Amino acid sequence: MRENVPCEFPAGCDGTAIMERLAQVLDPELDESILDLGFVRSFELRSGHAEVALRLPTSWCAVNFSYLMAEDVRRALLAVEGVHRVTVRLGDHCAAAEIEASVNNGLSFAEAFPGEAPGSLEALRRTFLRKGFLGRQERLLKGLREAGCSPATICTLRLGEVSIEDDAMIIRQPNSDPVDCGSAATLQRYLERRAELAIDCGPAAPLIVDLEGKPLSAERFQAHYEAARTVRVALEANGSFCRALLSLHRINAVGPSGPASMGGRHLQS
Amino acid sequence: MPSGHPGRQAWEEDIYNHDGQNLFVIDGHMHFWDANPESWKNKYGESWIKCFYAFHSGLSPAEEVWPFEKFCRYDEETLANDLFGNGHVDMAILNSTYLYEFYKNGFNSHLQNNVIKSKYPDRFLLCGSFDPRDEEAGFDAFRRMMAEYPIQGLKLYTAEWRDGSRGWRLNDPWAYRYLALGQELGIKNIHVHKGPTVYPLSSDAFDVRDVDHAATDFPDLNFIVEHVGLPRLDDFCWIATQEPNVFAGLSVAMAFVHLRPRYFGEILANLLFWLGPDRLCFGSDYAIWSPKWLIEKFMAYELPEDLKQEYHVDLTFEIKRKILGENAARLYGIDIAAQTAKLNRDGLGGGG
Repeated sequence: MRENVPCEFPAGCDGTAIMERLAQVLDPELDESILDLGFVRSFELRSGHAEVALRLPTSWCAVNFSYLMAEDVRRALLAVEGVHRVTVRLGDHCAAAEIEASVNNGLSFAEAFPGEAPGSLEALRRTFLRKGFLGRQERLLKGLREAGCSPATICTLRLGEVSIEDDAMIIRQPNSDPVDCGSAATLQRYLERRAELAIDCGPAAPLIVDLEGKPLSAERFQAHYEAARTVRVALEANGSFCRALLSLHRINAVGPSGPASMGGRHLQS
Repeated sequence: MPSGHPGRQAWEEDIYNHDGQNLFVIDGHMHFWDANPESWKNKYGESWIKCFYAFHSGLSPAEEVWPFEKFCRYDEETLANDLFGNGHVDMAILNSTYLYEFYKNGFNSHLQNNVIKSKYPDRFLLCGSFDPRDEEAGFDAFRRMMAEYPIQGLKLYTAEWRDGSRGWRLNDPWAYRYLALGQELGIKNIHVHKGPTVYPLSSDAFDVRDVDHAATDFPDLNFIVEHVGLPRLDDFCWIATQEPNVFAGLSVAMAFVHLRPRYFGEILANLLFWLGPDRLCFGSDYAIWSPKWLIEKFMAYELPEDLKQEYHVDLTFEIKRKILGENAARLYGIDIAAQTAKLNRDGLGGGG
């Protein structure tokens, strides 16, 4: 068992690298790790062949996001030394056969659903990377606001004035005392996504920017914050809904079932 | 809810009979479905109802969970009792859903729903539907449906599969033709419901932006977006903020009140912030969830103080009353006092 997932590794392989890679695969729609969400049902590695069984909250989870997760799992594992082949299983998902046949053979989404899926999934993925950016930024803003930073101050902060010290995010501005503004993980998650969206992460860049990477004026700040807040609530509420569904022993469950996961690191309410 | 109902407790009098005024509850989203295994046409019929059952058993209080067999098919008496007998509901909107590709008899078509509507005509508002993929050829059938059934609203499920097609969008040209025809035939209210698989599969199936187009182009129709656009609450809020004729159907979101009360508060605070208290309509999504516990928990629910301050909103008794019935009554032109008097005579426990 690793991270609540029944696992089998060959002798001499401790699996840490593999679990770390799996933990980086996100549900793009929820912007959370599939491992934290409890979507990984089991893992096996034999003679370089990795077999991953996923367990999505329902058999009607959106086909495109299900495909993205399966494809990302495959890519993540193929990047691990010693893994030469990956088989992803989707259990009783309504499109399991099509998705498995395509992903496990390295085919595209369009090839999995001929005539039904023109174009790639990149636009969809980008939409949700952007939502995730706002969600991550809102958590950062919450910390700044709770530390007493005014909108005017927040809008003038530069990345170079923010640092990670132990587990905390600290702001150091000239002529002011350092301010603890929340957790280092919140800042790291925000910066990772910011880089993924190719937004400037240099020390002179503003800490808080909109989706186009533009700084915010104190006047625009409130409206931006209100919108980001709603995006964060939507993402988290959806994640919470999925967790509630997964916590059940589904009545049509087949095969080995791991312990129900009600949480992971981001368990809310 | 019934006055003097034998099961009624003293505390309920305080909660539901506030300032001498009873609550009037309209369940804006409920079903009388037939998902009997004999009606399953294929594996989708089975997995569909099992998915619903996962919603039901995953988010209901443990003591409210039904056996799967009952969940597949419940009778009229059970429904009437769960809504009007014990469930605090005065009127309910039958959200017809067809799914003929999954169920031999349909899931809960207006034909099936009309059986219970005919039995309790004053208790139900019946939704019909159209499918723009019928194009011109479907106009006659649509007119016939409107003439032969007491249709008061339309329920549009855009993710319906048909003949290899996996759905449609509200702003498709033929959808506009049907909306115009519906309007001509007296329809005011359109219940819109998004689903997980819509063509093209590469786009976001839950995208609610087509509602924006239709709401702009049909300003005299009301668009009630069921499940507040979940899982696209954010996109729904942007649209509803722009379009005064877009309303929030609260089913699914309501269920959070039990297991995830914090998120329930956050969702509600957002809806109150963006839409205000006059465009939110209660729905249970019965039989996925039962109105009795949803309403009792909702009435007992207090919006956390930090959310009130953060969003500058409140959830007063008056606002709860709007959400539970007054807003939907306004949409459907129901005079609450007159309707209460009528319902008091039907033996199910009286209205109001």
